[in-house]
Amino acid sequence: MSLSVRVAQRLESLPESSAIALRIRADNYFDTIRGILDSFAPNKNLDSIYVTSTIPASSIINALEVLEIDLEHIYFVDSVSQFMMGESTKHGHAIYVESPTMLENVMLKVEYLIRKTKGRNNLVILDSINSMAIHNSTKMLSEFFHTLVNNLRAKKSYTLVFSMEEYESDEIRNILNLVCDETISAAEV
Amino acid sequence: MPDDITGERKRDRCVTGIDALDSIVDGGIPRGNTVLVTGSVGTGKTTLSMEFLVHGALEGENCLFISVTESCEKLMNNIIPYDFFDEKLIREGKLVFLDMPVIYSQLGLEQLEFDMEEVDVLVDAISDIVTELQTSRLVIDSITSVCYRLRTQEKIREFILRLGAVLSSKGCTSLLVSEISPAEERYSLFGVEEAIADGIIFMGNLERRGDLLRTLQVVKMRGTMHSRAKYVLDLTHCGVLLVPLLKGGSVAGG
Repeated sequence: MSLSVRVAQRLESLPESSAIALRIRADNYFDTIRGILDSFAPNKNLDSIYVTSTIPASSIINALEVLEIDLEHIYFVDSVSQFMMGESTKHGHAIYVESPTMLENVMLKVEYLIRKTKGRNNLVILDSINSMAIHNSTKMLSEFFHTLVNNLRAKKSYTLVFSMEEYESDEIRNILNLVCDETISAAEV
Repeated sequence: MPDDITGERKRDRCVTGIDALDSIVDGGIPRGNTVLVTGSVGTGKTTLSMEFLVHGALEGENCLFISVTESCEKLMNNIIPYDFFDEKLIREGKLVFLDMPVIYSQLGLEQLEFDMEEVDVLVDAISDIVTELQTSRLVIDSITSVCYRLRTQEKIREFILRLGAVLSSKGCTSLLVSEISPAEERYSLFGVEEAIADGIIFMGNLERRGDLLRTLQVVKMRGTMHSRAKYVLDLTHCGVLLVPLLKGGSVAGG
């Protein structure tokens, strides 16, 4: 059984509106994403909101297109493109936050997309806590995740927080333990 | 309505329709309150006030926007196209726009400074319009521009006191938009408006490490318990959205 199928099955076994810390590595990053966006979310009839602070949404969209993943129910909150003063071409399914330090605006854009896609439950993916930690203090990040995860739980949304194993620190593990119901390591599913 | 566990006797509410704001003021603005919506330019005062009226109109209430500084036509062109807006609200008269300069002209109030008698004439005229249209939600944008014509604190006090009393007696919940400069350390330009209003919603810009955030804070609201915390807002097609301001990394004074 492929990694993407195993990841999807593991996620499907969790209760609704779970908050999950998903530990991934560079070598299983795209298999994990395929399992989430191509199996788990469609099987559960979820709209996916992909918050990226790691690489621009356009790069992820290109990768998803190569993987032939249907983008119809996938939306992006991109907090890196404007910050990096990158390409000005905007994708129809992406909205932009000026900087990964504007965490409140990330929450506001997630809220906006949830309202725009009402009628279906949501899966909110945060990619990744490690890149957010580059731009924000641990206190700020803890408060952000605590507020966001509780808000999403109240809306019956799933939350997936990506953590790159290679870049985890004790502070990051503490935040994940505090706000997430469960930690899953993609390499061990 | 019976007392709740806090001992507060609940007044009838004017539900703004802005979910987070209703939550902040414990279910809505107490009906009949006159609330100052104050802040510097670009903080979202007009947009918030407009949404308050649109939600009211959608609920079947008669809503009135009196524009003082710019023509209603220009205002309508610049307003965010809300997902929930329906043109028929205007066609059916649930949402009415009036230009204050037209009211001045019809009343013969052409001079740059009004005397006390003219203040009374203006209040009576607004009162008559509210009665005629059976208005239950009113926005005056901006009250500061009206106050420029009153000049003295005495006349401003008289105007807002009388206006508030008249509107409250008719069960009309009102938002008076107030403009202040970013450096202002009070909530209104003349210092009188804030003392007389039943509520103050303060909208500002918060700079934090080079980022500029739009914020909202309910400083005062008579007749209800309310949060006094600062919230960050976004102006969207879905309306005004609010989330709590994160404090972990705030600089002093933020």
